[in-house]
Amino acid sequence: MLNMKNISRIYRSDTIQTHALRDFNLDVKEGEFVAVTGPSGSGKSTFLNVAGLLDSFDEGSYELDGVNIQGLNDDELSRLRNEKIGFIFQNYNLIPDFNLFDNIDMPLRYRGFTAGERKRRIVNALEQVGLASRAKYLPSQLSGGQQQRVAIARALAGEPKILLADEPTGNLDSLMARQVMELLHTLNDTGSTIIMVTHDPDQARSVGRNVQVIDGQITDHSVYAPTHDNATIPVNV
Amino acid sequence: MEMFNYYLKLSVRNLIRNRLFFILMISTLAIGVGVFLANIAIIKTMSSDPIPHKSDRIFNVSLNVWTGDNPDAKLIEVMRYDDAMHILKNDIATHTMVHYQSQVYARDINSKSLTRHQAVVRATTPGFFPLTEAPFAYGGVWQQDHAKQIVIGDTLNQQVFGGGNNVGKALEIDGKAFEVVGILKPWELKPLYYHAAYGQKFKTTDDIYAPIETALDNEWAINVRSTSTDRINSVSDNRGKNGYFIQAFVQLENPQQKNAMQAYIDNYSQHRQEQGEVLRANENRLLDVNQWLDHKEVVDERMIAFALATSLFLAVCIFNASSLLLARYHSARFETGLRRAVGARMKDVFYQGLVESILIGCVCAVFSLFFGWLFLQISTRLFPALERTSDIDFSLIAIGIFVALVTSFISMLYPLIRSCRTPLSTTLK
Ligand SMILES: Nc1ncnc2c1ncn2[C@@H]1O[C@H](COP(=O)(O)OP(=O)(O)OP(=O)(O)O)[C@@H](O)[C@H]1O
Ligand SMILES: [Mg+2]
Repeated sequence: MLNMKNISRIYRSDTIQTHALRDFNLDVKEGEFVAVTGPSGSGKSTFLNVAGLLDSFDEGSYELDGVNIQGLNDDELSRLRNEKIGFIFQNYNLIPDFNLFDNIDMPLRYRGFTAGERKRRIVNALEQVGLASRAKYLPSQLSGGQQQRVAIARALAGEPKILLADEPTGNLDSLMARQVMELLHTLNDTGSTIIMVTHDPDQARSVGRNVQVIDGQITDHSVYAPTHDNATIPVNV
Repeated sequence: MEMFNYYLKLSVRNLIRNRLFFILMISTLAIGVGVFLANIAIIKTMSSDPIPHKSDRIFNVSLNVWTGDNPDAKLIEVMRYDDAMHILKNDIATHTMVHYQSQVYARDINSKSLTRHQAVVRATTPGFFPLTEAPFAYGGVWQQDHAKQIVIGDTLNQQVFGGGNNVGKALEIDGKAFEVVGILKPWELKPLYYHAAYGQKFKTTDDIYAPIETALDNEWAINVRSTSTDRINSVSDNRGKNGYFIQAFVQLENPQQKNAMQAYIDNYSQHRQEQGEVLRANENRLLDVNQWLDHKEVVDERMIAFALATSLFLAVCIFNASSLLLARYHSARFETGLRRAVGARMKDVFYQGLVESILIGCVCAVFSLFFGWLFLQISTRLFPALERTSDIDFSLIAIGIFVALVTSFISMLYPLIRSCRTPLSTTLK
């Protein structure tokens, strides 16, 4: 599904070069739920941005759902973002003066769906996140957890191949965080591939596969048994 | 089309949400465009062709017959009665008119009221009407050179008779009766090419058109230039003297006709020179209407300088609006980044901006036309000389809309390009 080989990403400013990613290798299979952990500044967000085609990379190769990313132009990259990727941000990134319906509608507009098809998908996505009755609400009328669920609905509506989440529960209290995690697990159970950056070890443990980023490199390839209710035993690959 | 509607919806929402900002920005542009339009309106009217379908066949006749003693003086564009009669009677041109301007006070001879109306008189010949295409509402032109018959314009007809067909009635001028034989429709000629001299090129058309002989017979006042040795005792006395007060225009259909006329006037002034009258070298001219208007500097050079200034002012307004927009796009980069992240192409962001600029352009066009109109009102108040030089017509409105659209697009372009290039990873967290 997602295959990165020897990816490096260097941020250059006038005086300093930051190797945000170096020799980064990762292979994610369809249906996997991967938790990415690591210290602050280690390159987790950079990895996710590269994976989500929001950022470019300097070296290496990246294949997403069988498509080689190298050399694609803006039209092709935008299309891939639109069709294959669902992004979930820490800050939800909803447009404050659009209601939920219009927020979720946004990615679908660039897909060229008919009004009927868009509506079907929006209603569907809102149902999946349990907010079907609030389509006309503004984001500000919802709690943080609900807003994040709207953001997830927006990511889901396009039926993407992969969901990328950067600290999706980072701004939420533990109860709301649990609701969002449950939603992600449900989605994973129904077949979604998910990569999630998190700082919460419990959350990481609840997830099928854990990956640690340190200093721009994957240093730990431990796989946990895919149950999320009980503590799991790490297995070295 | 669906995307266009979507973008339009987004733009309307944007405009409403940031209305204060957009009012400021659109006003900035609209003032620039408005001033520019007002200026164009004036120049356009000043430089317009008063009689487009035949302006290249109508010629002013300037004769080299000044008998004054300064051979280097600029050619004067008026001639003596005798010269005018030669031009009039040579039968070369299709139509010929000679004319001078006078002024009288007139009233309806049958009216109980003794109120007299000031009336500008064009003392001329029947050729005047085909040469200016003055449109008759009733009646026609006089039949005899000395007839006490006149044609009147619509304004005077309204003032004196209250309008309508008054052919056959008479006006009283200086105690004498003059029969109205023709009445013109409301009529404008901009510029008033036959009277482009004396800074009166944007005056209204005349009130009374009378046979030139009749005007002289009745001593209707003239503005005459004469050489110093002559003593002229009355208006009609000019017939035999060196009084210069008549202008001539002719209609010449083709180069042969024009050459014939040129040869005629060259001969004529040669002949006068041989009689010892004319002191300087030949300089006889046939200028067609547009050459003639250029020669009379109908479009003031100051106006052109002003046009340059208004163009620069418009440019400043565009820069201003552009920097305002730059700031706004900067603050809107979260939404732009988000749209890009969920799959909008750079193109899509650009199209959205384009639709927004069209919307802004339309609003701006309305404001611009209003400001343009306002500036015209103000300038004609402040500078009465500009009165009647500025028409807002359909083509000007079209120009206004076009310029507003273009300027709003230009001011939007750079901010929009910057906005398309918003880096995605740094704007979204
Ligand atoms: N746009 C940028 N320009 C320059 N340097 C950057 C940029 N973005 C990230 N970096 C640097 O790259 C490194 C990795 O940053 P990144 O945001 O990926 O870390 P992170 O693992 O997500 O950290 P956190 O857990 O705090 O979110 C950091 O040293 C950061 O300073
Ligand atoms: Mg991060």
